[in-house]
Amino acid sequence: MQKDYIELKLSSSVYHLEAVRAFIGKLSETLMFSKKRITDIQLVIDEICNNAVYHGSTCIRSGIVIQIWVSVQKLKIVVRDKGKTDARQWLTHRGLEEIQARRSRTGESGNGLYLIKCLTDEHKLKPNNVGGTDVTAIFYRKERVDEN
Amino acid sequence: MTRTEFMTLRENEDVKIVDVKVDLGSYAASDLRKVLENLLNEKVNKVVVNFSEVNHINSTAVGTLVGIAKRLRQNDGDLKLCNLASTLTRTFNLIGASSVVEIYESEKSAIAAFQ
Repeated sequence: MQKDYIELKLSSSVYHLEAVRAFIGKLSETLMFSKKRITDIQLVIDEICNNAVYHGSTCIRSGIVIQIWVSVQKLKIVVRDKGKTDARQWLTHRGLEEIQARRSRTGESGNGLYLIKCLTDEHKLKPNNVGGTDVTAIFYRKERVDEN
Repeated sequence: MTRTEFMTLRENEDVKIVDVKVDLGSYAASDLRKVLENLLNEKVNKVVVNFSEVNHINSTAVGTLVGIAKRLRQNDGDLKLCNLASTLTRTFNLIGASSVVEIYESEKSAIAAFQ
């Protein structure tokens, strides 16, 4: 299971995220996710990649890698960044708790991680072997009753 | 460079209306910030942003709108949003920004709220 996957490699620029959103939207459509869930998936990948560009990249050449795994049960997306020399592995579960503690509805940043938590069925944050962070988002293909 | 073709400006008396014609990821949010900051610099203080052609908004763009709304209120003005798809309203609700930035069903009701 999960031997087949799609891998996208991008330079660390938000300019490319429109195309990524379009791609993941089309893929989610073929996997029969509901329209509402497709918009959730697009928003989550946008937020994860945005963080990888701004917080997990030293420069545009750092690059981020998106791996997409599809199985009968779920769609799994892993976004890998390389970290910054001054802020390696920016995103940890402890870091997430701190960011959420500071989060404010009147604030202008810090809400992306909160959305990731709200909109995924599962999410994981893990330091990777290149000094950055792997963020995993999982969406179950059989959607919960309250999603419909 | 701002992609101004995706954001056009209109007027209704003393209210400026910004028609956004692009999905609001971080790249477009930067363009939107420039457009709204230009209005601030021109001393415009009543602004409606029309979302009828927008299908996506991320937290960066929401943060931009929250920030501009706060600055307009300091000048006795405000920023109001209209014609949001339900998925966009949900994003504002999840973040809690819908209690900070006023959202209206139509452009007419958003403009009327300034009166």
